[in-house]
Amino acid sequence: MLKTTALSALALSAAAAHAADIDFWYGNTGTGEAAIQAACAAFNEAQDDHRVTCIGQGGYETGMQKAIAAYRSGQHPALIQFFDAGTLDLMLSGAVMPVAEFAPDADWDGYITGARSYYETSQGALYSQPYNGSTLIFYGNRALLAKAGIEALPQSWEGVAEAARALKAAGVDCPFVTDGHPWRVLEQFAARHGLPVATRNNGYGGLDAEYVFNQGPVAQHLQNLADWRDDGLVKLDADTAAGNYATAFNTGECAMMEGSTGSYGAAHAALGDKVEIAMAPIYDGYARHNTLIGGASIWVMKGHSEADYDAARAFLDFLRQDEQQIEFTRATGYVPVTESALAALQASPEAASLEFATAGVGVDSLNQPGNPDSRGIRLGFYVQFRDIFMEETQKAFTGGQSMQAALDNAAACGNALLRRFEQTYQGVALP
Amino acid sequence: MKQAIFRSRLLPWALAAPQLIVLFLFFYLPILLAFFWAFHLEQPFGGGSQFVGLQNFRRVLGSAEFWSSAGATLLYMVLASGSSILAALILALAADRALKVSPVARNVFLWPKAVASASIGVVFVFILNPYLGILAPLNDLWPGIWNPRTNAVHTWIMLFAANVWSAIPFSFIILLAGLQAIPQELHKAGAMDGAGPWRRLRDIQLPLLTPQLFVVIVLEVADSLSGSFGLIDTMTQGGPGGATNLLVYKIYADGFKAYDLSGAATQTVILMALVACVTGLQYVFLERKVKYDR
Repeated sequence: MLKTTALSALALSAAAAHAADIDFWYGNTGTGEAAIQAACAAFNEAQDDHRVTCIGQGGYETGMQKAIAAYRSGQHPALIQFFDAGTLDLMLSGAVMPVAEFAPDADWDGYITGARSYYETSQGALYSQPYNGSTLIFYGNRALLAKAGIEALPQSWEGVAEAARALKAAGVDCPFVTDGHPWRVLEQFAARHGLPVATRNNGYGGLDAEYVFNQGPVAQHLQNLADWRDDGLVKLDADTAAGNYATAFNTGECAMMEGSTGSYGAAHAALGDKVEIAMAPIYDGYARHNTLIGGASIWVMKGHSEADYDAARAFLDFLRQDEQQIEFTRATGYVPVTESALAALQASPEAASLEFATAGVGVDSLNQPGNPDSRGIRLGFYVQFRDIFMEETQKAFTGGQSMQAALDNAAACGNALLRRFEQTYQGVALP
Repeated sequence: MKQAIFRSRLLPWALAAPQLIVLFLFFYLPILLAFFWAFHLEQPFGGGSQFVGLQNFRRVLGSAEFWSSAGATLLYMVLASGSSILAALILALAADRALKVSPVARNVFLWPKAVASASIGVVFVFILNPYLGILAPLNDLWPGIWNPRTNAVHTWIMLFAANVWSAIPFSFIILLAGLQAIPQELHKAGAMDGAGPWRRLRDIQLPLLTPQLFVVIVLEVADSLSGSFGLIDTMTQGGPGGATNLLVYKIYADGFKAYDLSGAATQTVILMALVACVTGLQYVFLERKVKYDR
């Protein structure tokens, strides 16, 4: 039986040889794009059966817009990379198929916890293949911290506030910088404190979830950020000369920031060994939970031939290989997403080199013990919610309204979005 | 004049067909689709749409965000078209006079027309950058006195500056052409009767310029409602805190960034109705004052 299946599979793949040229759309630009193109070239080089053409779309959001238009007109690619916040929109779109069913033989359990939980169904089957994974870590500028006599990066928010006061007293104008983006100040904050952003475990339990971040410790943290900004301890993008938090850190204007592991490459290029990294701070008295995976994953789109899908499977297999992941990590600062790739990296003599500095801290952070609220975000129209959150909190930071009013408004608008999402997908079951 | 007579009834339609097809495909079809989506809840990937009656309109009209966006749009309409027409009128009056620099000015003032509004936006963001731009020295003296990134009033000023700059050429050339068409005899006769430049402006130039002013007002007002996208996308992205989130930009953000096709379509329908209303009102109330006879 097994033999015949293997034989027929062989016959199938032989028939498919040379027949399959597939497209893969991605959103990254800059170093990420170069690394993706390198992986595509390596795949095409490594075998003769299939060809993948990798097409950059200039951004995650643009990629999604084009995919929607392409899918509606039947011109969509077989494989496409989408970013974290669009996960639920895609799962319910009817345009994609679960990767765990698409390639049942792959070792889907080998993915690290934080990467798996974000892209799996409520029942635990992976829907997309995690690809460029990042997470939130804490950055410090050694030289500026030393000015205030700070030896190590603080690990608690209380410590961050204290360090910021010391830095300000020592003449550092911008102790801590953030852009106030909800990925940093809301989602990652709630996850690593084990707190919910919305009920029903952030929507994993059903489409009837409701936002609850506007109360309790999450709301208190945002209030603290606003207070600290009034005290001159925290600066936002607009308050910095650079106009952007990561640039402000890289140019040495600011001493500390919360940022993606993906920012490490640019920071290290600019500041060299002055850059210090650690896990993102938590408030005293909380147990540390995992942070969420950021970046993007690869989705299989419906409506292609079996030959195309053979090629897609081969390409996904190729990208999952340890060497490919390590190479990708080296080039970009994204973290390895499978246990075996991580083990292979740690066993290699290069593990200690600076190019891999984020892999250790990042994966550590992703692999902290989880709870049902730190699995991920499974909320509809979430991209739009992020914009609303930014807009409302910006008004609070610039003094147009109180932080509590901003959070209440954002939650109310967000809940209206969730209800409309529920209605738009009436009768569609949450996978 | 000789009149052409078509014997076949189909021939005129056939000759007009290419234009009609293009108009239908790229103008009427999208409008019909916008109306369709405005009454449906549409799944982004086209999985299915359901008729929901007026629910989308109730949702849009019931949201505070829409009203603040609509208010900002109307404010922008009045101030942006007003300021750019006034500036163009002053420059056209100056260039119409027989000054030494007039021929050069008539040429130079047209140049901004060749620059896309997105490029103008990028350039003005840099010029008015609070830390690196021309106003940065003010911030050194009085920290925080100029910051269009966080202060909504400053953001609006920045937007108007860029808009005036980009909108002048069009109004300028139409108004200048109108001024140049005013017969010299009228000026001379007025001058001989002892009318100074101001008097001639009030009693001769402005009344005779009303047809051109009317055209400019109608077009600038309609353009300010829909043409601000390039500037907003490059300069403010609707910020700070949604202060410059005009309807055109909100429609784009809702439809393309948030996959809310129904909401974006509903707002498109509302914006279309607004443009039609404003233009209609202008024809009803303003055109009466226009003197076409000379």
